[in-house]
Amino acid sequence: MITLKNIEKVYQTKTIETVALHNVNLVVPKGEFVSIMGPSGCGKSTLLNIMGLLDAPTNGVVEIAGTPIQKYKDGELAKIRNHKIGFVFQSYHLINDLSVLDNVELPLLYRSSMSAAERRTRALTALEKVGLSARTKHFPSQLSGGQRQRVAIARALIGQPEIILADEPTGNLDSVMGEEIMNILLTLNREDGTTIVMVTHDENMANKTERLIRFFDGQQVADSRVFDFQKV
Amino acid sequence: MIRHLFKLIWNRKKSNFLLIAEIFFCFLVLFGVLSLVMYNIRNYTKPLGFKHDNVWLLTMRPSTDSTAQNRQSLEQVLQRVRAFPEVSQASLISSNAPFAFSQMNNSFSYGKVKDIDADIYEVQDEYKDVMQLQVSQGRWFSAQDNASNYEPIVINRAFQQKLFGQEDAIGKLIQGVDSTTFQVVGITDYFRAGSEYAAEEPASFTRINIQKRPDYFWNELLIRVKPGAGVDFEERMVKEISGIGKDWTLEVATLEKMRQNKAKLTLVPMIALGLVCGFLIFNVALGLFGVLWYNINSRRSEIGLRRALGAASGQIYRQFIGEVLVMATLGLILGVVFAVQLPLLQVFQVESAVYNIAIISAVVIIYLLTVVCAFYPSRQAAAIHPAVALHEE
Ligand SMILES: Nc1ncnc2c1ncn2[C@@H]1O[C@H](COP(=O)(O)OP(=O)(O)OP(=O)(O)O)[C@@H](O)[C@H]1O
Ligand SMILES: [Mg+2]
Repeated sequence: MITLKNIEKVYQTKTIETVALHNVNLVVPKGEFVSIMGPSGCGKSTLLNIMGLLDAPTNGVVEIAGTPIQKYKDGELAKIRNHKIGFVFQSYHLINDLSVLDNVELPLLYRSSMSAAERRTRALTALEKVGLSARTKHFPSQLSGGQRQRVAIARALIGQPEIILADEPTGNLDSVMGEEIMNILLTLNREDGTTIVMVTHDENMANKTERLIRFFDGQQVADSRVFDFQKV
Repeated sequence: MIRHLFKLIWNRKKSNFLLIAEIFFCFLVLFGVLSLVMYNIRNYTKPLGFKHDNVWLLTMRPSTDSTAQNRQSLEQVLQRVRAFPEVSQASLISSNAPFAFSQMNNSFSYGKVKDIDADIYEVQDEYKDVMQLQVSQGRWFSAQDNASNYEPIVINRAFQQKLFGQEDAIGKLIQGVDSTTFQVVGITDYFRAGSEYAAEEPASFTRINIQKRPDYFWNELLIRVKPGAGVDFEERMVKEISGIGKDWTLEVATLEKMRQNKAKLTLVPMIALGLVCGFLIFNVALGLFGVLWYNINSRRSEIGLRRALGAASGQIYRQFIGEVLVMATLGLILGVVFAVQLPLLQVFQVESAVYNIAIISAVVIIYLLTVVCAFYPSRQAAAIHPAVALHEE
């Protein structure tokens, strides 16, 4: 599903040059649930941004579903992000001035050929999946952290993407809330076959996924199967 | 997408209120100034009803009061002036020559229509040729009026409509305030002698018959000279007249000069107002630009998010321009609702067309202004790098 070849990412500021990723080679097959761990600043978010086509690597090739993405222009990249990829962020990134329902509908707004009614039904279905049907008219500021993250997940899955990229989705939540979010992601992976790449600092969370990749200083240092992962 | 924009703007109504209010007030000021400008321009493009080029105004002020003597000299002057080959015609007038700063008016009544104010110009029969008036109905003054029982009067169309409406005015008797009865003998379509920028108002001409008033002295003589008559002729003429009216003070002005002076009276305040308005708009533009700039910068993470969810940079650009246009539209709708009251209620005696043009121009200018102000910040928003914007939070 996602293939990274010889990825190099260098941040160039006026004074210093930071190598955020160095020689990363990674294949994430379709339907896999991968977690990525590593100390702060080792390049996990950078990696996710590159996989999510939000950022271009300095060197190397990114392929999504077999197609190298260098060829694509901004508009086409946006279209791939919109149709194939869903993002979940540590800090939720909801728009405070929009209701829960409107926030969830957001990705569908960028699909030209969808009626308002269809957007609405899909948003309601997505909210149902994350157990927030009762909060559609609320605004983000009226929700708890866990509820906000569930809204963000509903938004990520509304477009029925093949890939979900989650950057520390449980980082700001207590363990009970974290469990809940994790269960939603696991269900998505098992029932819909969604490919999920999740960055986490929590070994327990990582152990629930099927594959664990460790990063250190911009480089991949370990890649292992998690034994007790049960694919249903 | 439009619905989405409305929703966003509505949910942010508190912070958008200022922007909408700013556009609203800017529109009202612009509308006011443009109405004034349009009013003046429309008047300017309408016919004056006379031709002022090659017309001079001779003002004569005797220093002694020996009226009989002066009066005799006046008649000699009149004869002498008309005899110059350079002069095509001359007429004594009351002291409200075209473009002069003095006015004379009277109230007239006809039947049930009472006390209509109109300017009165006292003129000799030659005035029609001096000013090249066009009488469209009836006739101008002539010797046959010497025998008339009533004072003959020629009126302009505006006056005719106020006093008579649809009724035919020729031959009708109208009453002045001092119970003089006038008989309408002719109608001119236009006569606006006050200023090129003034609207057509009721005006009338009454006849000077110098034989009837043997002891009266008219101070002003309007002279049409032939093309080419210049300063030398003016000097020669003044010299000769000084020979007749020995102790008189003489002054010659061209109507063209008087027109320019009168025009300044309108143009100078209009230009000043225009400058003030221009400055105001510039300020509003800066304010608008600042607010948009601030808004967009405080929404960087939203922009990053939208990009991550699949918005192309062009869509971000259009969203921000769209938001500004929606807000401008809200401000303008509010403004137009106020502005249309003027033509609807007819608060001032101004044609609706003036207001309509002013409204349309103000709307177009404000839209242009907002688009120009939104252009750069929106471009900036579209250029925001999603990974960077998301990273910032
Ligand atoms: N926009 C940027 N400009 C310059 N340097 C950057 C930028 N983004 C990230 N970096 C640098 O790249 C390196 C990797 O950053 P990244 O955000 O990917 O780390 P991370 O693994 O996600 O850390 P954390 O666990 O704290 O989120 C860091 O050293 C960081 O300083
Ligand atoms: Mg990170």
